[in-house]
Amino acid sequence: MSSPEETFLLECGELLTSMEDALLQMESSPADSDSINSIFRAAHTIKGTGGVFGFDDVESFTHVVENVLDKVRDNEIDVDSQLIAILLSCRDHIEILVNKAVAGEDINDDDKDIDTDLRSGLNKYLDVPEAVENNLEVAEEKHTVEFESSGSMVISDNWHISLRFDKDVLQNGMDPLSFMRYLKNLGEIVHVTTLYDDFPKLEDFDPELCYLGFEIDFSSEADKEQIEQVFEFVRDMCVLHILPPRAHIAHYSEVIQSLPEDDMRIGEILIASGVLTKRELDEALNKQEKSFQAENENVTPIGEVLVEEKVVHEEVVNAALNKQNTNKIIKSTEQTVLRVDADKLDSLINLVGELVISGATTNMLVNKSGDEQLIESMSSMSRLVEEIRDNALNLRMVQIGETFNRFKRVVRDVSKELGKDIKLNINGADAELDKTVVEKIGDPLMHLIRNSMDHGIESSADRVASGKDIQGNVWLNAYHDSGSIVIEVADDGRGLNRDKILTKAHEKGLISDGQVLTDHEVYRLIFEAGFSTAETVTNLSGRGVGMDVVRRNIEALRGSVDVDSKENEGTTISIRLPLTLAIIDGFLVRVGDSSYVIPLDMVNECIELEEGEQAEPGMHGYINLRDEVLPYLRLRNYFDEPASTTGLESIVVVKYGTNTAGFVVDELLGELQTVIKPMGKILQNVKGISGATILGSGNVAIILDVPNLIVRATQAETSHVINKASDENVLLH
Amino acid sequence: MSEIMSAVENVPSLTETNELVAKTDDTGTKYLTFKVGGELFGAEINNISEIIEYSDMTRVPFTPPHIRGVSNLRGNVVPIIDLAIRLGKKPGQPTKRTCIIIVEMEDAGEKMDIGFVVDEVDEVLDIHEDDIEPAPQFGADIDSAYINGMGKLNGKFVILLLLEQVLSISELSQLISDYDLLQS
Repeated sequence: MSSPEETFLLECGELLTSMEDALLQMESSPADSDSINSIFRAAHTIKGTGGVFGFDDVESFTHVVENVLDKVRDNEIDVDSQLIAILLSCRDHIEILVNKAVAGEDINDDDKDIDTDLRSGLNKYLDVPEAVENNLEVAEEKHTVEFESSGSMVISDNWHISLRFDKDVLQNGMDPLSFMRYLKNLGEIVHVTTLYDDFPKLEDFDPELCYLGFEIDFSSEADKEQIEQVFEFVRDMCVLHILPPRAHIAHYSEVIQSLPEDDMRIGEILIASGVLTKRELDEALNKQEKSFQAENENVTPIGEVLVEEKVVHEEVVNAALNKQNTNKIIKSTEQTVLRVDADKLDSLINLVGELVISGATTNMLVNKSGDEQLIESMSSMSRLVEEIRDNALNLRMVQIGETFNRFKRVVRDVSKELGKDIKLNINGADAELDKTVVEKIGDPLMHLIRNSMDHGIESSADRVASGKDIQGNVWLNAYHDSGSIVIEVADDGRGLNRDKILTKAHEKGLISDGQVLTDHEVYRLIFEAGFSTAETVTNLSGRGVGMDVVRRNIEALRGSVDVDSKENEGTTISIRLPLTLAIIDGFLVRVGDSSYVIPLDMVNECIELEEGEQAEPGMHGYINLRDEVLPYLRLRNYFDEPASTTGLESIVVVKYGTNTAGFVVDELLGELQTVIKPMGKILQNVKGISGATILGSGNVAIILDVPNLIVRATQAETSHVINKASDENVLLH
Repeated sequence: MSEIMSAVENVPSLTETNELVAKTDDTGTKYLTFKVGGELFGAEINNISEIIEYSDMTRVPFTPPHIRGVSNLRGNVVPIIDLAIRLGKKPGQPTKRTCIIIVEMEDAGEKMDIGFVVDEVDEVLDIHEDDIEPAPQFGADIDSAYINGMGKLNGKFVILLLLEQVLSISELSQLISDYDLLQS
């Protein structure tokens, strides 16, 4: 794919997104002129750019859409839900067309059917013949005005377009031919003369340069603005003169004069193409001489001349003014947002990571040296490195809102499909998290929202029967909590059915008979592979892969997912994710001979145990922490590390969500910034560790995955207890 | 016409001679030989990127014994495999001659470095294709799937390992998951 087309695709994506947002906005407030303008702008730009690339399907379809939008803008068509629906479908169709056009694929029959349907839907709004009549009237009016202003008119009924491309037009990725092709959509090209006077000697010829110029006679009902727009994208790369039908001879003379080729030669071409008669040419050349003299005596500003001579249509002036205004707006947003290649950003963050590591090494050496001045200067540098790290990471932070907004459309469409009335409520759209995380969270959220709508929210009749508001609610909430971001998908539907889940889990062999589970444990079963309680498989959900996939996707991001539900009140699924995947603040501890890093966000406090209070030896147990039970895990035993030489142990109290636990370690080594290094495919699936980092000494330290460690320990104990119980049973028998 | 025919007939004979020349010039494939558990093994040199000195490495909790740990290789964290355990032999104590051989493996288009510990690195040899016998079905004491062939060397046999199998990323990660399940 060549790069201008890539840019086109990217731009179209953005335009289509803004179009969708505006359409949804319009659905709630139909009279919003900003929305309709932004929709129109999107359609218009896609049409224009599509035309330039020669994507005829895109261009012709978008043209119809644009016409309808134009009428909406002029308040000729009322906005209703039907119109919004058809425009939303049009937006989707344009997306398909653009993607296929850029990929070089042909549209298939299905797309063609959609195309025809949508066009006929749109044409209902258009009332085609009337539109043509209007145009004619306008055109005629203009002509009359010109007739009155002066007697010396050229007889030709055709527009005359004089076009000289800059030599570097090809190098700028523009194909002159595509503009001609696009011009054909506005009318008929009567005659084209190609000028190759600029063509150099063969040895000087550069195949990447464009040496051609064109004189075009063009028959069309379009006005000057429309014709000018054809060349909008090469406006800076060509010399363009457009003369209206029956233009004043003086204008021809101006054009002739301004063109680089010999005056007589141009004149001949014009006569040959039937624009000018011989007499008209003579008059034009005459005028030219006179104007030369006039110029010497009294110079009239070109603007005044143009207005005086009425060569510029009023619309053209207006359009120019409009353009100036929009340009201003674009400029101001350009200054605040800079588009940067994600790869560049990644390599910057990698470098910052290296800087952090080597900074830690230097810091260690400096502290060893004991030089006061050096230590002082190092500490101020460390602070700067820390700031650089935070800023670099911030570059990757994006608001979750954009992802959330995508679901407005999903909820709208799915609720129509299901025949339910469902409202999407969004909270905390400004919560920020890493772009990689945002990209990967879209699909799981989609699953969850569809599930909520399909299974969670009851049908309207059921809702009324159970005394609920007929309109169902789905919430998307995001908020920050102890170093993670929590995203909740909630609904006020029927809630999870404990018995149904249990029966199903037995059927699928996920739990054994006689196993007693809390409500929460039962609800968590929905995340097991192959679990689905939906009695019928709809095309939305119910295939039983969804929740399992959701869980795995989220765990791959070092996150976790949990579910809470109340019968008849609703279900809340909360996803907890780390804010960033690259660098974390860690707390370094020694366990046996090895160092381990605990993410600092999760460390609540550290307790140094005195000899008398030494916790019981063994893998786990619990202590009394300010009159609360704190379960602990002795990492040395747990990780099979050799026994420590120093007798004293410490407990690091970690908090994750609502869980608090203690890790017994041999030594506390303090805080450090760590760059998370991927462990590679082989080790990435080990539960309980989330990566590795390189310490200042060059050694590798393992980063602990606190939530999974706790889950692991819980599971180990449960199975241990069950095994013990079953062993005892065997003995009894 | 006959000229053309003879020209056409000449073509295959030409390539035949070329092949002959190539064959006589070819001294065989290069193999690195090393000792593990007192036995001599060889591996094709193509995948091997470097040999580094043995140093203490970081153990990774919850991994089976054949994962010796992870090491810092110029800023990258590289998993190190204990080849002896992987091949079902007794692990040796590290000595002065213990080395780590780093190989570049590929899985699903993704390249990654893996290291494995050997007791001693021997030499780089050319072993001609004709001197390689197919792997015996049993008797070599290791899984025949890991054996590329048996190289003849001064009347003795060297087991030529198929590193793609021995260090297969998918197999190793599967082993870790299985071990993990077993433990919890």
